[in-house]
Amino acid sequence: MAAERKPDAFEAEALSFLDALYRTALRMTRSEAEAEDLVQETYIRALRFRAQFTPGTNLKAWLFRILTNTFINQYRRRRARPETTELDDIEEGTLYRRMTGTGAASSSPDPEASLLDGTVDAEVKNALEELPEKFRTVVLLDVEGFAYKEIAKMLDIPIGTVMSRLHRGRKFLQKRLYDLARERGIAAVRAMPRPAD
Amino acid sequence: MDCDKCLERLYPFLDRELGETEVEEVKRHLAECPPCEGSFVLERAFLARIRDCCTSDVAPTALRERIILRFRSAD
Repeated sequence: MAAERKPDAFEAEALSFLDALYRTALRMTRSEAEAEDLVQETYIRALRFRAQFTPGTNLKAWLFRILTNTFINQYRRRRARPETTELDDIEEGTLYRRMTGTGAASSSPDPEASLLDGTVDAEVKNALEELPEKFRTVVLLDVEGFAYKEIAKMLDIPIGTVMSRLHRGRKFLQKRLYDLARERGIAAVRAMPRPAD
Repeated sequence: MDCDKCLERLYPFLDRELGETEVEEVKRHLAECPPCEGSFVLERAFLARIRDCCTSDVAPTALRERIILRFRSAD
């Protein structure tokens, strides 16, 4: 019997995470159609297994765990195109050093204005989508506000792995955005000496 | 705390993953080290930029409606 019934607290709360689940799915699958399928599948499973959810615990983390598991088990395997799984060694050195080119303090550096404000959303999103999947997933879960411990639990990996993937993923993004900004010829960036590769 | 140790804690600090004692140690170092302070300021801006960009997408209305229907027709 499929009688209509009123939404309960579980459903109302689960629906409040729809946008967050969708945008994460969008970056994971890199396809609007696949993201919709993945999110719908996530809610179908959440409904099916809702008895396993302990009320009062973190529903957002529970839903994201279903989302990432579904993605890993279904969508990733379907992908015909193999993707790189590792990141080339990214030079260490902070963004600040990269932007100032020296690592030393200058009197009034304003590098974020030239790099970060000059970068459009589409470029940031593209850079994210270029990240190999295991790094991308960790960066996306961090963006959604999950703690290292929660991400580790969701992906069944040690916290140290979460930290190193997050670190390397962020360094990759910075390099991409820096290179893009430089290609576009933002004057402030162009004028800076390029740190050694 | 020296600069290397401070920069090792950059992301855990910005991600609010450090304990109170370490937070204080990092803050003390930043207060007296402009280069490290500069790194932290810029990395914080970078993380905010990534977050802002990513959290602006919303789910399509049709998807929301399909999911609400699923809920309503669940046994």
